[in-house]
Formats: sequence, C-alpha cells, structure tokens
Amino acid sequence: MIESLDADLILDAVASVLLVIGGLMSLAAGIGLVRLPDLHSRMHAATKPQVLGLISLLLAAAITWRSWEWVAIVVLAWGLQLLTAPVSAHVVGRSGYRTKHMRRDLLTHDELASAVERISRDTPPTRG
Amino acid sequence: MLEIAVHITQVLLALGAVGSVYRIYQGPSVLDRVISLDVMLIIVASMMIVDMVVNDHQDFILFVVITAVIGFLGAVAIARYVVVRSPEEVAGGTSEQDPYPTPPVAPAIPGAAAENEPEAPHDPVSTPRMPGLEEGEDESTSWFSALARSGFTPRRHEDEAKGPAPAQSADPEADLERPPGPPSQQEDRDD
Repeated sequence: MIESLDADLILDAVASVLLVIGGLMSLAAGIGLVRLPDLHSRMHAATKPQVLGLISLLLAAAITWRSWEWVAIVVLAWGLQLLTAPVSAHVVGRSGYRTKHMRRDLLTHDELASAVERISRDTPPTRG
Repeated sequence: MLEIAVHITQVLLALGAVGSVYRIYQGPSVLDRVISLDVMLIIVASMMIVDMVVNDHQDFILFVVITAVIGFLGAVAIARYVVVRSPEEVAGGTSEQDPYPTPPVAPAIPGAAAENEPEAPHDPVSTPRMPGLEEGEDESTSWFSALARSGFTPRRHEDEAKGPAPAQSADPEADLERPPGPPSQQEDRDD
C-alpha cells in the first residue's frame, strides 16, 4: 500500500509539473504576442504552446488517467499537431514576407532578400 | 498537489489567452490576428485538457485531435486571401504599421539591385508577379498560364524559378526584359 501510495504521489507530482509547464508555455505565447515587435517574431512566440505546451498538457492528462490506451491517442493528437503546425507557420510567414508585414530595420541579416536578388540576377542565363 | 497545479495552470492559460485576445484586438494586420487565433485555439484545447485532468474524464480528447488535424486550415486560407485578393486591407495594415522605412540594403553587386531596391518600400501593396504575366490576370492561377506559355521543362532547382518575383514586383522593365519567349527557345534547343 505504501508503495502504491508513493507511486501515486510521484505520478501526481510529475503530472503537476507537466501541467504547470504547459501553462507557462501558453503564458510565454501571450507575453510574446503582446510584446514582440513584428509578425515574424510574434510567430516565433506563437509556436510555443502548439507543440511543447500541448505535449506537456497531454502527457499530464495521460498520467492522471493512468492508462496506456490513452497514451496512444495523446501521441496521435500531438503528432498531428506537430505535422500541421509548420504548414500554417510556413504559409503565414511566406505571405507576411511577400506583403512586407515586417520591420526590416530589426533584421540583422535577410537571407531571403539576398537569395531573391541573386536569383533575379542569374535568371536570364538559367532560364535560357 | 494536483489541485494546486491545476489552479496555477488555469491562471497561466488565462493570462496567455488575455495576451492573445489583446493581439487579436490590437493586431495591425490580418496575419497577426491569424496567428493569435491559432494560439487562442490551442489555449482552448489546453483548457479542455485541464478540465479532463480535473474531472477525470476523456470526453474532450476528440476535440484536441480534430483541432490538431484541421487547425491549420484557417491560417492557410486567410494567408492566401491576404496575398491574392485584398491588397487594400493589407495596405491599411501596413500604412499604420510601417513608420519604419526600409534602410538601404547594401546589394551584393551594386548595379544589379540598383533598379529594384528603391521601389520596394514605396509600394507595399503590390503582390509579386511572375515574369511572363499579363496585366489583368489573377495571380493565383496565372502561374499555370505562364507555365503553359513558357514551354517549361522540369529541371532541378525548380523553385528557384519563382525567386525573382518579389524583387521585380514594381518594375515593369524587368518584365519587358524577359518576355516569355526565351524558354521556348530553350526547349527547342534541347530537342
């Protein structure tokens, strides 16, 4: 009995820590969305609860449920989120760059601009 | 202990939701609101997870899975909409957001970028155009007609062919320099 009580305590402690980590991720996203200056840096903050916060909260839920069946569902949900989060981030960042929703004075180095310029210089020979 | 952690987590999630709602209300452009809405959706899913932890049930797990599957569709749709269909909306966002003009970027070769660089900050609304593109054509489908006209043959660095589009967005001479003729010559030469 003592052992199972200890196991319960440890699992509850782990679940509590994971819950608080997930909450801290969403708090970081909120602070980052308020404080950061332009779209691309805000996207950097907004991705935090999507992957790390979600996996910690889901793991906490699976731990409190004490069942391996739900771990599979949890991993499925997290894997799907991991697959689809980069899609929206890519599309939003791309259209943000192309419609100039960014502050160029904050950039230290714009690799895409130099790449675009180099390609536009090289285009006549490569396109025939 | 779990109760205390649940309370702390709910407070943290609420603070994150407040920040996200502030950005949705305040956000200078549509894209800021879109990413804030993504965060809001994740926070709602997180709230449901916390509720499942508290009350020890699994009723909402399907919502979390479905959110993970289709949560990106809104962002993708709205991002495409911003680029193609509503330059006025983007102009309203950028004109109030853009008191920071583009500093002159030192180009790698000064002569090559001299005609492209000054146009970029003065024309924030122009969506990038493909080189062989007619004037009144819809940008979302014009890539196909441009491709059909140009006699395109697949080669290795295919996506680099789209690269020059943002740089020459406001430069009509760049379009005149590269009419859709030369690629067909390329094709003939290959045969």
